[in-house]
This record gives sequence, structure tokens and C-alpha cells, in this order.
Amino acid sequence: MNSSALRKVIEAQIPSAFSLPRRAEGRFFPTGLTAIDRLTGGVPVGALTEICGSAVASSGKTSLVVSLLAHARQFCALVDANDAFDPASAAAAGVNLSRMLWVRCGKTRQKLRPLEQAFKAADVLLQSGGFGLIVLDISGIPESVVRKIPLTSWFRLSRVVEKMPTALVFIEQQPHAASCAGLVLNLLNKPPVWSGNLLTRCSMEVEVIRGAEKKRAHSANPVVSLRAQWA
Amino acid sequence: MFACLYIFDFLVQAALRLEPMPLAKDSLVVILDGPDTLQRVIATNQAARLTGIDLGMTKPQVELLGGVVLRKRFPRHEDLAQAALLDCAFAFSPRVESTSAGTVIADLLGTEKLFGSPPNVARLMTLRAQECGLEANVAVAANPDTARIAACGFRGISILALGEEEKRLTSLPVEVLSPSPAILDTLDSWGIRTLGALAKLPPLSIVERLGQGGLQLQRQARGEIRRTLLPAEPTGNFEEIYEFETPVETVESLAFIVSRLLHQLCLRLSARSLGMTQLQMNLELVVRQLRSDAAKENYERIWKLPLPIVDAKVLLRLVRLDLDAKSFSAPIRKITLQALPARQRSAQAGLFTPAAPQAEQMEITVARISGLVGADDENGIHCVGSPQVLDSHQPDSFCVQAFSTETNDTEISQTEIREGEGHLARPTISLRIFRPALATSVELRDGKPFSLLLNNRRAQILCASGPWSSSGQWWNPASLWAREEWDVAVKTSDGSGLYRLVWDRMRKQWFLEGLFD
Repeated sequence: MNSSALRKVIEAQIPSAFSLPRRAEGRFFPTGLTAIDRLTGGVPVGALTEICGSAVASSGKTSLVVSLLAHARQFCALVDANDAFDPASAAAAGVNLSRMLWVRCGKTRQKLRPLEQAFKAADVLLQSGGFGLIVLDISGIPESVVRKIPLTSWFRLSRVVEKMPTALVFIEQQPHAASCAGLVLNLLNKPPVWSGNLLTRCSMEVEVIRGAEKKRAHSANPVVSLRAQWA
Repeated sequence: MFACLYIFDFLVQAALRLEPMPLAKDSLVVILDGPDTLQRVIATNQAARLTGIDLGMTKPQVELLGGVVLRKRFPRHEDLAQAALLDCAFAFSPRVESTSAGTVIADLLGTEKLFGSPPNVARLMTLRAQECGLEANVAVAANPDTARIAACGFRGISILALGEEEKRLTSLPVEVLSPSPAILDTLDSWGIRTLGALAKLPPLSIVERLGQGGLQLQRQARGEIRRTLLPAEPTGNFEEIYEFETPVETVESLAFIVSRLLHQLCLRLSARSLGMTQLQMNLELVVRQLRSDAAKENYERIWKLPLPIVDAKVLLRLVRLDLDAKSFSAPIRKITLQALPARQRSAQAGLFTPAAPQAEQMEITVARISGLVGADDENGIHCVGSPQVLDSHQPDSFCVQAFSTETNDTEISQTEIREGEGHLARPTISLRIFRPALATSVELRDGKPFSLLLNNRRAQILCASGPWSSSGQWWNPASLWAREEWDVAVKTSDGSGLYRLVWDRMRKQWFLEGLFD
């Protein structure tokens, strides 16, 4: 029996034997920022997303995640490695705090360091299931520490979330998950707008480092404008 | 029809009900009571009676026989066993009488469609009692007293049809009627030893010789007494206690018993269609006997559950997570579990409500995460839960509440309304808080911040907005606060950083409170 005949016999019994597995149609959670949603479709469900920005400059990464939380219709979890979340500004942005689980790491003397606590807490949350969006904020952790996270940890998380209706979002200073991430956004600082003595608006430039929709060559990065709560 | 649940050797079964490992059927078990120096046998099981162990024997006398399981009497165990028996009966009927210790009678009127024929009800009752750790005789009869007598006299299940009571009870000894010793002696002297013989005596002669009490006994023997039940009130006390013969030191041994107790609590609650909203565990340590500061050596833990739970496995996981994180200074001699009952959740999840984590599973998840990150911070605020902004003008005032997956429709609709109004469509700048706030030094020029110390470097302030003054708690000197806020743009290596700079007027100190990010 030649190879083509053999192939036909096998395909008759197992139709998908020689076809590549297809990923399910991608679902996205809207971020609430039109420019980013147009560019990427939102944050992919069943994948790992990295939102990167400077730790000392106002890059807009926290505002982006708060906007994402505000637009989520599912139960959300925020694992806060530095306890930097501000419930007041999140509530003002429209986040339904009663449907959000907030995990504050590093507040008590524990055996594990805050970064390890955050990863383990995220793992427990993923195992638990039922959360539409899980955010890990590790942007306050020094880069030298985050860089030591082995790639296998990222890979494991991406594999776990792959089969779940959950979007796993990391806020960091630099991307670390490499190919394990489905979407990587880098947010760049733009000069704020002052109206007289009042801060009214600030902007960020969004750069897609990895994603379903790659940036077109020579096209400018979109700029997202954020208003101050009092403006 | 009435069904009677009768626990034979009640004292023995009450003492052994919560034993983690069931004893063999032929085990010799005796219950001892009295002062430690002179303990005497007050109850035995059938195997012990057949061996010749009598009531009143002393502990050394029993020990000489060897292979006898000795248990000390705890009256509380008997109360709890009776409560469990009552809950067992309440699973089948709302009208239940607590006739005596180890005996309950349930009115089965109107329960046929739920539980089927009397033999089926009797079988289900036996199984339910077995689950509660009690072996029961069950009898169903047309009147309560006949059911009780049959349950006392016949092993297993007995169904007495209407009109056949006298015939069925004929062979039973008169002791099952629990007559007074004087009447029992008189009947014995007459040669009356069975109910059949008693039933045949002329009633008038019995009244002449034994009074109305004797006539009452004869009517019971004939199955003729008709009376109404004295319904027992369902108790809200769901408690299980276990006292170790030898104090335990390992969590595994403790968890073994905790599992048994939780299972019993859940059985009792489910029998009454209830759930548990709070679980309290008390552990009594051995050192309690030795030290004067006794109460401090006891361990108490309360779990407030977000919704009524009757799943023993979920509760056991919660207890295990707590026990694993705790180390005790002394062995444990007694454990008490107490449940706060509540009606079970009856709401059905809607098709269009968002998918939520399972409430029971969520409790375990939160407990596991709390074990990782800690339960409370130095201010007593939970480390895991739902944040809530406090109704205060003081910045960064919040609390963390227990996370609940119960959907709050009002809040959802408010969010949707706000979205409809276009509020959510306009993204705002969020603040990253520094907890605690970073102390800094600020150089002022013309009353405005000119530069500040950021990451041990002096950074020039490009633009400043302020001061925004606020104060509060002026009526309370201990918590008085007053501050001036500045929104400042600082030049950094990655561009401009928008910071919230605060002058604390009480401490006379500048702080960096957060970054607008």
C-alpha cells in the first residue's frame, strides 16, 4: 500500500489525523479605549496579555487596566503585588468593586516574597475558575527580580489559561513572557495637558509588540487620551 | 400512622456515635460513670451483657475480663445524640415527639406521597439513623404507644397493621411497657410475663388490684391507646463535641475527627433543609488544666460563610487550611464544632447573569490565598476580598469586605446606566497609591514646589497644580488630619511623571502619595 492510499485509509477512520489543530475563534474583552480596541480588538480571552509601561513615568498602564475592569461584565480578580490599587479612583472610573476580588500581596510577614505570592495566588484563582478577568500587577516589583521568573512559569500560566474563558493580564515595566503572551502592549508617556493651574488630560502612545493584529509598517502608533477625574 | 425510632443501648450508642472507626459488632462496650476513684458500669451493649458484665460493676472488675472497650459517660454526648435523633425524624415529618432518651415518634400522616408506603419510610428512617451513627429499631403502627412498644420489643423494622396490634405484641415481655417496679413484681408473682398474658386478664380485676395504672398498661398491651403527640420544637442548636481519650498532637488525627463532626452537622442540617452560614470551632488544649490563664490556651476560630453551605468536604477544606497554618502549643483534648443554621439558597441562576465562581469553591479559594498572602494587614484590613470605598473625605480610606459571588442586580443596572450615559466611554487617569506614602523633601520657590527628592535624586518639577487643602476628624485629636495636595509633573528618565505630592500639616512632612498612571 503506497503512502497516499495509507493516508486515505487513516483519514477515513480519523478525519483530523493530518490536519493541524485549529484554535477556537478568538474572543476579546473590550478595554474601553477605542484606539486600542480598534487596533487589537481588546484583550484576548484564553490568553496571556502583558501591558508594559514605565514605573516612574505616567505611562497610563494602570488607567488602561482600570478601564478594562470597568468594562468587564464578569467577575474579576486583581492580584496586587505592591498593594498599589486605589479603590477610590477605580470606583470613579466605573469599576464594580463588589464583583472584584482584590488580593493584596506583601502586607504581612509570610514565607513567600510578594512576587511569589502573586504568582501563586494567580495560579489558585485560575484553578478556581469562574473569573472572566484576572489581572496581576507586578509593575512595582524591580525589574531585576521579575527577570528571574523562569520562562516555564509564564508558559505554565499561558497553557492553563488557554482552555479557560478567562483573560490573564499582567501589568509590568517590561515584557517577560515572550511567545507565551497573546498580546503585548507597550505604553509610552506623552506630555500632559495643563489648563492654567489644573491638570486636565494626559496621553499615552500605544505600541503593539505582539498581537493578532501586527502594527502596519510606517504607520504611527495610536495615541490614547485620558482625562482627569476632575476635568 | 406513627413511626417510632428507638435506639437500643442508647448510652452506649451515644458514646460511640462519633467514633472515627466503627467498632466490631461483637465488641464488648461498657459505659462508666462516677468519680475517677470509683467508676462503675452504668450501661453495656448486648455482647457485654452476654459475657456477664453487669451494671454496677467497678472499673477494675471489668478490666480483669480483658478486651472490653471502656468509655466514660458524657451527658452532653447523650443530649447531642438525642438532638441528632430528633433531626433524623424531622427529615420525615414536621410533627415529632421526643418521647424519652433514645426514643422519638414521628407522625407520618400526609407523608405517603413523599416517602411512599410505611415499610419504605421505616427503611429510609433506619438508613438515616445509620448515617447519623445510630442503629435504630423502627416500628410503624396506628398509634404512637404501640409503635413505641413494638420498636422497643422488635429488632429492625416492624410494621403493625391496624387491628393486628394485640396479635403482634403478644410475645413481647411486659418490661417493654416500662411499668413501675411494684407493678412488675405483682405481675411476675401472678405469672404474667408477656403482653399477651396481660391483655387477656379481665380489665375490672386489674383495676381492682393495680388501679388505673394497671388498666393503662393492659390497654397499651392490647394496642388500644389513642393519644395525640406532644410535638417537640426543632432546636436551632447544631453542635457536635468530641473528647479524645488521649489528647492528639497531629493535624491529621484532628482532621479525621473534624471530618466526622462536620459530616454529622451537615447531615443534621440537611435533614431540616437548612444550611450553615457560620462555623465555629473551639479546641481545648491540655494545658488548660495546668495553668491559671486558662482561656488563652483555647483556640477559637469562626468562619463566616457568604451563603448557607451543607457540603462537609468544602467545610473540611476550610478547616484544614486553617489548621495547617496553625501550630498549637499543647495537645488537643476536646473539639467543639458549632454551626449557625440558615435557610438554604433557593434562587436560581439566570441565563443572562455573568458566569461566577462557585460560591462554595470560592470560600476555599479565598482561604487558600489568605494562607499565601496573610489574612489581615497591620491595620486589620483584610488582604483578600472586595474593596469598598468608605464614606469619608480622608484620602485612601477603604475597607476590604468578604468576597461574595451573589449577584447584586442593582449595582449591575447602575453600571449599565452609567455606561449608557457615556461616563464609561471617557477613560480617566487612575492613581497608583504608595502604601505607605514615601517621605520626601521638597524645595519651594514662590510658595510652589520647585524640586523634590525622587529615588534619592533631586528631580525638577515641571508643573505643579495646587495646593488643594483638606482636613477632617477635627473633633478627635487622635485621628485629626490636615493636608495640602499638589499634582506635580516631574521630569524622569522615561518622560514626565505625574505625582500626587502631599504636605502633611500635622506631621510637618512632605510625602509622595501616588503616581497618576
